[in-house]
Amino acid sequence: MKYRYLLHHGVFENAESAPSQVAIRYMREELTYQQLAEKSAQLANYLQKAGVGRGDRVGIYMNKNIYSAVAIYGILIAGAAYVPLDPFAPTERLSFVINDCGIKFIITNESKSEQLSEIIKQTQLSGLIGIQNNPEIKIPATSWEKIFTLPSSPPLLSLVEQDLAYILYTSGSTGTPKGIMHTHRSGLSFAEWAVQTYQVNSTDRISNHAPLHFDLSTFDFFASSIAGATTIIIPEGITKLPASMAKWIQDEKITIWYSVPFALIQMLERGNLESKDLSSLRWILFAGEPFPTKHLRTLMNKLPWVKFSNLYGPTETNVCTYYHVPLLPPDSDEPIPIGIACENIEDIVVDSNGNQLPEGEIGELLIRGGTVMKGYWGRPDLTEKGFCRRPVFGYCEDIFYRTGDLVQKLPDGNYKFLGRKDRQIKTRGYRVELDEVEAALLSHPTVHEAAAYPVPDVEGSNLIEAAVILVEGGNLSEDDLIKHLSGRLPNYAIPAKIIISDDFPRTSTGKINRRELQEIALTRNKS
Amino acid sequence: METKAVIHKFILDELAKGRKKNISEDEDLLGEGIIDSLGILQLVAFIEEKFNYTVPDEDVVIENFMSVNAISNYLDQKLVK
Repeated sequence: MKYRYLLHHGVFENAESAPSQVAIRYMREELTYQQLAEKSAQLANYLQKAGVGRGDRVGIYMNKNIYSAVAIYGILIAGAAYVPLDPFAPTERLSFVINDCGIKFIITNESKSEQLSEIIKQTQLSGLIGIQNNPEIKIPATSWEKIFTLPSSPPLLSLVEQDLAYILYTSGSTGTPKGIMHTHRSGLSFAEWAVQTYQVNSTDRISNHAPLHFDLSTFDFFASSIAGATTIIIPEGITKLPASMAKWIQDEKITIWYSVPFALIQMLERGNLESKDLSSLRWILFAGEPFPTKHLRTLMNKLPWVKFSNLYGPTETNVCTYYHVPLLPPDSDEPIPIGIACENIEDIVVDSNGNQLPEGEIGELLIRGGTVMKGYWGRPDLTEKGFCRRPVFGYCEDIFYRTGDLVQKLPDGNYKFLGRKDRQIKTRGYRVELDEVEAALLSHPTVHEAAAYPVPDVEGSNLIEAAVILVEGGNLSEDDLIKHLSGRLPNYAIPAKIIISDDFPRTSTGKINRRELQEIALTRNKS
Repeated sequence: METKAVIHKFILDELAKGRKKNISEDEDLLGEGIIDSLGILQLVAFIEEKFNYTVPDEDVVIENFMSVNAISNYLDQKLVK
């Protein structure tokens, strides 16, 4: 086994041992490992010349395309960290992220010109990469054609595995997103574990369904490049259409599929799986939220040759537990467990005072190991809250990450997931802090009070609903509020329904009774 | 209203929800994230109710749903029969 300590090592190893093996495929375009290594090195040389150095942050803002992988590896080779920007997020939110971590350069494409001319007004960017100079955009741009004339051997740089590799921004409870920092080490610890556990090898064709700002994508790219496999990027449009998605798996002969359960449930219900030849599939991996057992059983019955695995872990820890799903009994819809701790993870369960609990008792899951993040960008306060230092072996202290998830260890050793300690929810696999939704509603001057709450839907996920009370004499419609939110929140965090009411149900202490609001919504949806 | 106008209005008012002021008839609705995976379900449900026509799952593919023009061409073909 080779000793790798940087996330891009896999690409160079394969460029040497299997130069003509296809590394990345998008629609009809392909890059071999040799091409990927050379083009990434060219980008790194450009970045270095432009003044980007070790530890700097570089944004990636585009719909996924064949150069997505060049962007990721080029930034890493230059010693910088990549920051994927959600291509569909409102520009205000993106400008926040760019300013928050001090991004100077963004790798982009032509489809984002309109948004970029907005973003440039609100940030201090120095340059754009991947587009031609454009009079509308008032900062210098460098096209790929120019970059691909630069030297194709990587710049000489001394990097260590603790160097920052990427920052993923997620919903934060204070109303602004927070940046989760991962290092080469934490990314590799996960990717190498995944390669071993799922026996990823050079014959694999791995789907990339998740957007780059979603941590599932690190498996698709890094596990693949370590194993010398091919990553096949699914075109954005197809991800919305279950029948096209199933046909894409068939045509691209995908062997390992990884996504949130929602995408799989859509294909199960509307993908006409019976009419497709999906015999190439060997693993279906899912993560992000619970997969309702009845849907999972039906899917497993339709694809009996495929192995299924449930991966669990907050973005802060990569994956920390996994569960290879056995044959599910036909008569029980009991939720499947999140499984056992990954081999490179230490797991303990504690009570609300931080005391370790005996096996089988319900408590919060704490995680220690190489896959844990470095911290939140620029937020030592949040990092301190997320971590706790505990004695290990009786003679030293080490960091554990508090997942905020309540779990219970079952007699067979698997963990059962029982919910959150706080007000974070998952909707279609995306993590949303309900406090952030409420903060965004309250930022409208006419809103006096706001409550956001999850309403479970038939697909086993959540929709977000909100209720507001307006200031006296205020006049606002649901549409006005949705327009207000659409500049502040990503699309998935915008409530499906906002109710404007005169008063809320209250608890005995006068607090908004969100549970009752949720029950009212559930009753309404049933009738 | 003709089919195209009905579809255009629904997408702009209900699915784009203020994120877009204008949508051209050839704009890539799916690739540009104007319609997300929940939006496509809403759109199909709307078409089924409005035009009293059941859209088969196999027809909900990129060729038929990528733009306002594609959707209205698809519906014009199906609704004549």
